[in-house]
Amino acid sequence: MVSKAMSTRTEVAMASVDVALPASESIAAPTAERGLVEECRRGDPNAFSRLVALHEGLVYNLAARMLGDPEEAKDVSQDVFLQVYRMLPRFEGRSSLKTWIYRIVVNQCRNRQRWWRRRRRDKALPLEELTASESVQLAAPPAEGPEQKVARREESRRVQGALLKLSLDHRAVLLLREVEELSGAEIAEALGVAEGTVKSRLARARDALRQALVAREGNPS
Amino acid sequence: MKCRTVRSHLSSYRDGELPAETTREVSMHIGSCAECGRRLREYDSALGRLQALPRLACEESIAARIHTHLEVEMRGPGLTLLFRPAWSARPLFLPSLVPAVMVLLIVMGAVISLDREADRLPPVYVRNTGQQWYGRVPPSGTEGNPLFPSATVSLPRTRQGDPFWSQALAGMGQRSFFIEMVVGRDGRVSAVTLLDGDSFQAAPILDMLRHQRFEPSRVRGEPVAVSFYRLISGTEVRAPTT
Repeated sequence: MVSKAMSTRTEVAMASVDVALPASESIAAPTAERGLVEECRRGDPNAFSRLVALHEGLVYNLAARMLGDPEEAKDVSQDVFLQVYRMLPRFEGRSSLKTWIYRIVVNQCRNRQRWWRRRRRDKALPLEELTASESVQLAAPPAEGPEQKVARREESRRVQGALLKLSLDHRAVLLLREVEELSGAEIAEALGVAEGTVKSRLARARDALRQALVAREGNPS
Repeated sequence: MKCRTVRSHLSSYRDGELPAETTREVSMHIGSCAECGRRLREYDSALGRLQALPRLACEESIAARIHTHLEVEMRGPGLTLLFRPAWSARPLFLPSLVPAVMVLLIVMGAVISLDREADRLPPVYVRNTGQQWYGRVPPSGTEGNPLFPSATVSLPRTRQGDPFWSQALAGMGQRSFFIEMVVGRDGRVSAVTLLDGDSFQAAPILDMLRHQRFEPSRVRGEPVAVSFYRLISGTEVRAPTT
């Protein structure tokens, strides 16, 4: 298995990353997903690049929302796909590839936060600056005037700030449910907990977000 | 149904996961309780705003970053890089190898040339006098600080002849050796230094000089150590005629 993984690594590394995705290809199609995984396992030089191109948006968005720092999100996204690349031969397909990747993202974010906390620098992160950062682009920004743009950015900043008041577990469950629109079972797979735990955690997380937003708007400073 | 119970069901109520009977009871309570109704509206608003957050996209291609990372990993360290097949060599390979080879050649050349210089240095033979001085300069006239011949210091005279001396001189041919000697206060030779000449050919003569015995030089009747130079040559030297 190791030698297979090594040969796959070589071939993928030599492959070009400029992969054009067919318009009909989507992440949700389970057969296409299975085929992509199989191609990656067989060492198809373009398959892994396609896999990254398909999932990098959702991985980056989730990491950025969870950590609140665009640079950290970039690093986490890279680490996630490197881990996917190394672990792909061991992926058994019991859950969907997307759920498996979400699980890796959440774990990487958790590790990253632990790492920062150990160095007592978690408070130094520019958490609320995420939406104002020039290095982050809002995907497909709608046509709008300057005032609307400022208002939208301010709204994003408020919601992101409230989100970051929550614990990492609450952030993960909320984002997976409300933003990524996963089902309870999928979230349970992604977080590695029981479905009942997801429900109770989701209820607490929703209430915590409500309180954070109410408190924030009661005290805008 | 009490407010506390309703609030604990809000999440499931919103997701439509409660049984029909419980859902109806919660709806009725919310319709009649202003506080619980307000809480549900806050709840909906908070989640609606979260869902409305725009998706963030990285301006830099993650795929390109991973590609670069994997490529660096694939290159591997040192020997792997040197001994991989030529067709898999990257453009980065040659520019980094050429200066490395040049530096290696320069260092090897310097080592070889310095080694040759070392061979050209004349060998020095110094007899161990058994006496060492540290710190202060030893007293004048001792083996560690010998005097030089002068008007008051005579040259030491040979005490006895050596039967092999004439044979050694005869075997010298036309060669010459310039030697510094130190004759100690007891008349023994305490140091012999070859200043000029082939060390290999001078070896028998130097050995004989070490075993020569002298009448020590004296200053005011006291024996002193003396340093002097000797030119030993197979060529006949005559004083210039004036």
